[in-house]
Amino acid sequence: MTDLYLIYKNMTRKPLRLFLTCFAIFIAFLLYGAVTALKGALDSGVEMSADDRLVVVNRINFTNPLPISYVQKIRSVEGVEKVTFQNWFGGYYQDPKQQVVTFAAEPESYLDVYPELLVEPEQRQNWLRDRQGLLVGKAIAEQFGWKVGDKIPLNSNIFSHKDGGQTWDFNISGIYTGEDEQMDTRSAVFHYQYFRETNSWNTDSVGWIGLTTKDPALNEQVAKRIDEMFANSSAETDTSTEKAFNKAFIEQIGNIGLIIFGVVFMAFFTILVLVGNTMALAVRERTGEIAVLKTLGFNASRIFRMVLAESMLVTLLGGLAGLGTAYLLIEGAKAAMARFLPGLVMTPEIAVQAVGYMLALGLITGLLPAFKAMRLNLATAFARG
Amino acid sequence: MGSLLSQISAVVAMNIRSLPKRLWMSLAMVIASAVVVAILLAFLAMARGFEATLEGAGSDNVAIFTRSGSASEINSTVTREQVNLVGDAPGVLKEGNTPQVSAELYVILDGIKKSSQTEANLPLRGLDVTGVGMRKGFEIQQGRMFTPGTNEMVVGAGVASQFEGFSVGSELRFGKNVWTVVGIFGTGGNVFESEAWADAKVIQSLYNRGSSYQTIRARIESSASIDAIRDYIAQDPRLNLDVETEASFFAEQGKQLRYMAFFGLFISVVMALGALAGALNTMYTSVAERTGEIATLRALGFSNLSAFAGTLAEAMLLAAAGGLLGALAAFLLFDGMSASTLGGSFTQVVFSFELSTDLVARGMVMALVIGLLSGLFPAWRASRIPVVAAFRANG
Repeated sequence: MTDLYLIYKNMTRKPLRLFLTCFAIFIAFLLYGAVTALKGALDSGVEMSADDRLVVVNRINFTNPLPISYVQKIRSVEGVEKVTFQNWFGGYYQDPKQQVVTFAAEPESYLDVYPELLVEPEQRQNWLRDRQGLLVGKAIAEQFGWKVGDKIPLNSNIFSHKDGGQTWDFNISGIYTGEDEQMDTRSAVFHYQYFRETNSWNTDSVGWIGLTTKDPALNEQVAKRIDEMFANSSAETDTSTEKAFNKAFIEQIGNIGLIIFGVVFMAFFTILVLVGNTMALAVRERTGEIAVLKTLGFNASRIFRMVLAESMLVTLLGGLAGLGTAYLLIEGAKAAMARFLPGLVMTPEIAVQAVGYMLALGLITGLLPAFKAMRLNLATAFARG
Repeated sequence: MGSLLSQISAVVAMNIRSLPKRLWMSLAMVIASAVVVAILLAFLAMARGFEATLEGAGSDNVAIFTRSGSASEINSTVTREQVNLVGDAPGVLKEGNTPQVSAELYVILDGIKKSSQTEANLPLRGLDVTGVGMRKGFEIQQGRMFTPGTNEMVVGAGVASQFEGFSVGSELRFGKNVWTVVGIFGTGGNVFESEAWADAKVIQSLYNRGSSYQTIRARIESSASIDAIRDYIAQDPRLNLDVETEASFFAEQGKQLRYMAFFGLFISVVMALGALAGALNTMYTSVAERTGEIATLRALGFSNLSAFAGTLAEAMLLAAAGGLLGALAAFLLFDGMSASTLGGSFTQVVFSFELSTDLVARGMVMALVIGLLSGLFPAWRASRIPVVAAFRANG
């Protein structure tokens, strides 16, 4: 009891300094929590993508099309289980700035290959039956206030409608949700058949082909077989796992992300070093008092514990407050940011890591002064004091 | 008055000379201010470089036509017929009877980035001599121009520096097509240097584009001609096109990274608050350690204003030193650093960080604000130290 009281008294002897130190730690962990959550959200596209699904794209670049005949050919490749294909539609709603990630796909096989899209059975049937049906993600349905049964127009910034203009009419036949909170539900999918019959180019090409294999262990073999099958044709293919494909895409944003997070983490650690320095110096000022405690009969290990506990308390006080504020900030921003950054959540991993850094900070800044206090030689201490 | 000034300068000089005695605390303050300034400048230099790359590309005397609603070059398509119609639009310049119109194609290829060894989107633009002539500051830096009708390409300096295998003379295979790089060009550091160029007709046949193109550029008298052209387009149902001056087209795309600058500013301000807390701690400690000294000076007849000025000067000096250090670090680390990211047309834009003097000035202002705020309150405390403290202090 007396130990705690002494620690408390020591901490609050200079309330202003305590406040300033805690505040600096608070800022450091506020930044850490918020920026790490942001980084997690940016990376979640890669994290969420399946490792056992393959993507087949045109070797030249994924924006170049593949002939639709490839779908049947790939279905017959040994080791392939389910195959679907899709085309990028370049959709937007009302204003070119309000983009809607829209694909033209083969509905049934699409839901087979992407089982993480959860649709109620009735809506699923609805969508499969309605040629003009549009399956939309929960996030965009909420953004535009769409409900099942609504009729909405979508424009394409790439294709033209056979009847003129770039507008297609759709019926919202279902709203899908993700099986994971971080999943991106900002896309809309409609029937490839409808797209093919109504676009002015009447193309027989698809954007890319997605497939699952009978066993993930077969992935490499299957990818090789597919690419070899189309080697030296007019449209060579490049087959990779969905994860590798998404990762490559995220990497296109480039070293910018790396630079930003690098800079922020550098800042985080600098604050910690500065604060640690201040805290360590604060203990030094108390040499005289510690000597008095020793004279009163406090043994060395007890003093060691007290000094260490104080620095731990200060870091945890500031750090937990900062982390908590970061959590509130992220929770508050989640709804507003859902359109740009789905998957913005503070995961338990982030929190655990942050607490780890707090403990490390408390330990490192407390250890040396505590050690010095423990070994303090009474004669020199009083001579100095 | 004269004596007050000499008092102040004496105290300031004394405080500064005694800084080494408070080495760790002083250093902490310098570093805190340096980090804040370095971060602020890194973000500002990035945003500035990206904007300069895009904004420098556009000309006010070139109009760019894209299919309405397509918003970027890659999504757009235009027909041969539309190209001809645009040539007759009012305000489009002619040389003899030939309208100065460039019909262009924009294809994306996979290039390997040197920095990460990963595939990244690289634009291949198809154009002809008229189109090349519309680019400001175009010059062949190495090799020669491509020969129309062949599988030859020239690449921008940015492509040559950031992607693998684009040196003059090298052969590249994209799908079934083999291209030969015959030259490297520069356009004064703008976005076109992130592109590869080849003959439009060759690209049409190699990529099954028939007689269609993607965008049209036209030389116009001045940016004022745009309105007349817009009216012309509106009256002809065959022309479902958007038109803008090239300058405003690229300026719009340059705004993309502006949010990055806001984000950077926000982070720096939050960081600055943390650094300020650290700096205040330093200055209060400094005042506490000098209690005896200050009180002694007061006993000798120095005014409390000199104690105030001395402490404030110390804080400002440390913060300014930190600011310079931070600016220097940002300059060494980031200035001229080449980076690339996805631009508006879904392809890589190569740009360099640009740390100009006005940005450095903004960084220094930030440092001085930190110095002022962290010096003000401790200086107030220093000026209130009673003379009697000189006799109580044991130092």
